[in-house]
Amino acid sequence: MREPLASVVGVGASTVGRHTDELEHEIMIPVLLDAVADAGVSKSDLDSFVLSSPRPYIEQKYFATFLAAYLDLPVEDILLETHGNGMSGALAFDIAVDRIASGHAKVAVALGVSKETHISTGEHLQWSMRMVGDVDFHTPFGMTSISWYAMNATAYMHEYGVGRRELAEVAVKNRRHAAANPIAQFRELITVDDVLDSRPIVRPLHLLDVPPRSDGAAAVIVVAPELADKFRGDPVHVLSRGHYHEGIHQISTRPRSLTSFPAAARAASKAYEAAGIAPADIDVAEVYAPCSIVEVILSESLGFFPEGGGVKAALEGRTTSQGDKAMCTSGGCTSRGHPPMATPLYNVVEAVEQLRAESGERQVPGAEFALTSAELGDYNSTLIHVFGRGETL
Amino acid sequence: MGEAMASAGNADQLPYPPRTTEFTAPFWSAVADGRLTTTRCTRCEFLTFPPKVLCPQCWSRDVEYVVLSGRGRLATFTEVCVPPAVFRDEAPYVIGIVDLEENVRLLTRIRAPFDELTVGLPVHMVVRHSQPVALYEFAPSPDTENVCEEKNA
Repeated sequence: MREPLASVVGVGASTVGRHTDELEHEIMIPVLLDAVADAGVSKSDLDSFVLSSPRPYIEQKYFATFLAAYLDLPVEDILLETHGNGMSGALAFDIAVDRIASGHAKVAVALGVSKETHISTGEHLQWSMRMVGDVDFHTPFGMTSISWYAMNATAYMHEYGVGRRELAEVAVKNRRHAAANPIAQFRELITVDDVLDSRPIVRPLHLLDVPPRSDGAAAVIVVAPELADKFRGDPVHVLSRGHYHEGIHQISTRPRSLTSFPAAARAASKAYEAAGIAPADIDVAEVYAPCSIVEVILSESLGFFPEGGGVKAALEGRTTSQGDKAMCTSGGCTSRGHPPMATPLYNVVEAVEQLRAESGERQVPGAEFALTSAELGDYNSTLIHVFGRGETL
Repeated sequence: MGEAMASAGNADQLPYPPRTTEFTAPFWSAVADGRLTTTRCTRCEFLTFPPKVLCPQCWSRDVEYVVLSGRGRLATFTEVCVPPAVFRDEAPYVIGIVDLEENVRLLTRIRAPFDELTVGLPVHMVVRHSQPVALYEFAPSPDTENVCEEKNA
């Protein structure tokens, strides 16, 4: 095991769902204060302030500077916003970690807020269709962000002879996790038939296979490992990170498999190597999986199960909180909810709480190592972080 | 005047049209003529799609337009039931990824019901005579002979 890059000593997250009656900073600030209190840091300790850049339809622009002023927070090291579509929150976390690992800062905060529910789905898709495709050669055909995952699903179901019923089990499992997560957007249990009978969105994916629209905010406090014990007795260490962008925007020029995520495999293998662990060591993976099919493919590309074995493993219960490879114990994007600009930070929050054994009924017994992922495109770019408990070092 | 307006009203206007430049104009005008084209590197012969101002493999600027067969196989597909606002009047519609005979991949609209499609289905290009440009869409090829006849006609 190598030296950790940084240590997480504080986390905060709002309930996921509708926050239409609150302004963006009114959602964000209580969460930041929760994270600061959780960490035991004070305002004057904060060296770096890295914000996941909000959606263009958030009213306040240059939100990071607005927030710093609202908080009366002078920032010594760096104040910036990260922009990378659904990966933005993970980039904010990655930069906060790097400010610590590079020695530029002792205490950094990564934070993000998404306000989505005041915008109609059609309007949202009309904007996002310009981010998740080539506006001249993809968008004119009317594709949407999740239509790419739907096409992964069609290919996967054909290649491995899987039906909608089997895929639906992933959504049902994640709802069970969400039922035990007090901040989740949807906590009422669902059945496979509920998933099958929900209305089609991007066939073969129906409403309960895809993410809801969600508001929410999350914040994470990162400190230099040597200071971790000063703030909290049970720090969670960031052991490594791995990134890869394969130079592809949604679809490759040359035909290739549509049932694996090569960038995820490459980013994860770099992260495993840097942490000195193997995929088998990961106890809990809180991944960026907007749709059920994405979690299945990831469970293979991250090296947990063989190619084509993801659905079988899910049906055997191996990805539940009591399984050997717990995935999306928060309830994931479909049930915890998906405030995209904050989702990767919510994933870090879940990983940290699992390693601190604070996850209640959805606790993964004896969790020692956790993994988070975030992505761009059809997982054409992946950012992985690997976490470990303090005593595992 | 009245006739021109009526004609404009009847035209199939693309909800979200691509942009046309001096570089891409040959591509879009070829589509209107029923031909799918793209660029190929004159140095390393790498074929790419869509047309690009450089060769993405060797970064040479020396590229030329070539005509593609317009035939391929359906790699995957979906039916979009919840579309972006501007596509509301067209929903639901089927889009798919097609792998052309020339071993390049593209996204397109598929003119067939979702339930009649399968992965690997032979497909060929059909022209959507839309405004401001014609769009390349694909349809299932009933069988190889028919496609050849259509092409020879």
